[in-house]
Amino acid sequence: MTAKRLRIFALLAISMMFLLAWAFPIIWSVLNSLKTDSDVLAYPPKLVFAPTLEAYRDVLFGSGSILPNLLSSVIISVGTTIVTMLMAVPAAYALARLRFRGKKFAGFYVLATQMLPPVGIIIPYFLVLRNIGWIDTYQGIILIYLSFSLPFAIWLLVSYFEDIPFEMEEAAYLDGASRLKTLWRIIIPQVRGGIAVTVVFVFLNAWNEFLFAVVLSGNTVRPVTVAMFNFVSVEQTLWAKLAAVSVLAMLPVVVLGVVAQKHIVKGLTVGAVKGGGRR
Amino acid sequence: MSSQGQVSFRNIVKMHGEFAALKGVNFDIKPGEFFALLGPSGSGKSTTLRILAGLDAPTAGRVLIDDKDVTSTDARDRDIAMVFQSYALYPHMTVAENIAFPLEMAKLPKSEIAPTVKEAARKVKIDHLLDRKPGQLSGGQQQRCALARAIVRKARLFLLDEPLSNLDAKLRLETRAELKKLQRSLGITAVYVTHDQEEAMTLADRMAVFMSGEIQQVGTPAEVFARPNSIDIAGFIGNPPMNLVPARYVDGDVIIAGHRLKTTATTAGERDVVVGLRPGALRMTEGGLGARVDLIEDLGDTAVLDLDCAGTMIRMRVADGNIPGEGDTISITARPQDIHLFDPATRMRL
Repeated sequence: MTAKRLRIFALLAISMMFLLAWAFPIIWSVLNSLKTDSDVLAYPPKLVFAPTLEAYRDVLFGSGSILPNLLSSVIISVGTTIVTMLMAVPAAYALARLRFRGKKFAGFYVLATQMLPPVGIIIPYFLVLRNIGWIDTYQGIILIYLSFSLPFAIWLLVSYFEDIPFEMEEAAYLDGASRLKTLWRIIIPQVRGGIAVTVVFVFLNAWNEFLFAVVLSGNTVRPVTVAMFNFVSVEQTLWAKLAAVSVLAMLPVVVLGVVAQKHIVKGLTVGAVKGGGRR
Repeated sequence: MSSQGQVSFRNIVKMHGEFAALKGVNFDIKPGEFFALLGPSGSGKSTTLRILAGLDAPTAGRVLIDDKDVTSTDARDRDIAMVFQSYALYPHMTVAENIAFPLEMAKLPKSEIAPTVKEAARKVKIDHLLDRKPGQLSGGQQQRCALARAIVRKARLFLLDEPLSNLDAKLRLETRAELKKLQRSLGITAVYVTHDQEEAMTLADRMAVFMSGEIQQVGTPAEVFARPNSIDIAGFIGNPPMNLVPARYVDGDVIIAGHRLKTTATTAGERDVVVGLRPGALRMTEGGLGARVDLIEDLGDTAVLDLDCAGTMIRMRVADGNIPGEGDTISITARPQDIHLFDPATRMRL
């Protein structure tokens, strides 16, 4: 009994350590966002302080409001997610089901695009976008994000489609459904867990992206990740405002995560028990 | 109603690369008939069903349904209902939605769908489960749901791909009887794939026996049982299957382990044959073929004896109360009409 209790205690301690390592930066950001700039810089760090929403008021409604930037981020992320899913679902279905020449190569190519270091292709992307006049435009940045999110989404979705037995589709054909109707009525409802997981990942990647956004856009299109950087300058870093923007930028992602959590957990466990995830 | 559902296969060939899954298959199914495709696994029976359903295309040959060539018609335009071995129920839909799906696809008005679904569910006794999801049903209930989905639309053909193989033994026997009644009451043509000869024997009006991509015999179960066309069919049909013993044919008699048995054949001459003897057709007699009882399998009302006839193994079925002891020596014989003769080279009936 005591040995068992000790093991549980040890397990708990280790879990807490991991949790702390993960949660510390977030807690620190939240704390800093509620401090004044002088409190942030106080040494030793103040654990007891008078919380203020000044930083939030400044970044939201001050002269350098980040509201337009949040809107930019939303447009880019939502746009990327919608276009990605519209193209990835049929593509993944085709890769999982149809037999066609070059299928193997297509599958490899999809994966290979994930192996490139982003920095390596930033100059070619810049040149391409400049030539078609899409630098610093929404369509330009969404196009660039698509080049990463689409292969990723397809690769993720294929495994979900492959899990669905052929007979299910054949039964639908014999019941009089067309291929498209079968996809819509029979297949997609069964992979909705996988679709939820993919949506979250694609949205997250687009929302958090910084490198391409800072090089390929920045003036008219300036997502919050880039705008956040304004608070870091040569003379000083406005830590409280930076923290406040960070917390604000985290919120949509957290909300999305909570909303889709059920599907994500379900989606991640598919395949652990045969058929257990979906039935 | 029963004028619909006539099927003809004309020289159907199916190649998988170099491998011939079907080597020119021909058969006809009459409207309203319960037709079984029987054979061991890999013999081509399931491929035949898939080609009939339109899920696979034949490499050569023609498929006719009601005298219309449907070889290149899409599965969904063939007006065929099918029950899959795995049932293939739609897991995200309720039982009612599953059964309603073919009706929705047929664009039946909503007001007609609900009562039709109810009626089909009642026929297979699952009308109390309409709001459940397939995952909440037992194996037998899932099977009934698949049946209901197949019969709800009055299709002209009803295909069943080993529908009973996932049920336990007791449920399989019950469902088998109900299936036959259901098919009779609907008057629909049924094509039934099975590797279980007992299922085919009990269910089918007629059956086609498949062996390595070919149909070796088409006939009623009684015909196939009484006069199997080949050694392979003889060894496949019946439980326990027919004894197949190499023997010598001499002027109308066969010589097994030194003992002479009369046959119905009258041709003069001498040759090697394979003699087929049903375990149930053997009887004990004075002065017959000597045999030592090696093993007794008591089945209650009958028993199966493993006999050693001078080195040749023969199985025999005897009625209860007539069972010798293990190690006893008995003497057996068979009537001329119960002795089947096969050619050991061509493996066909002589």
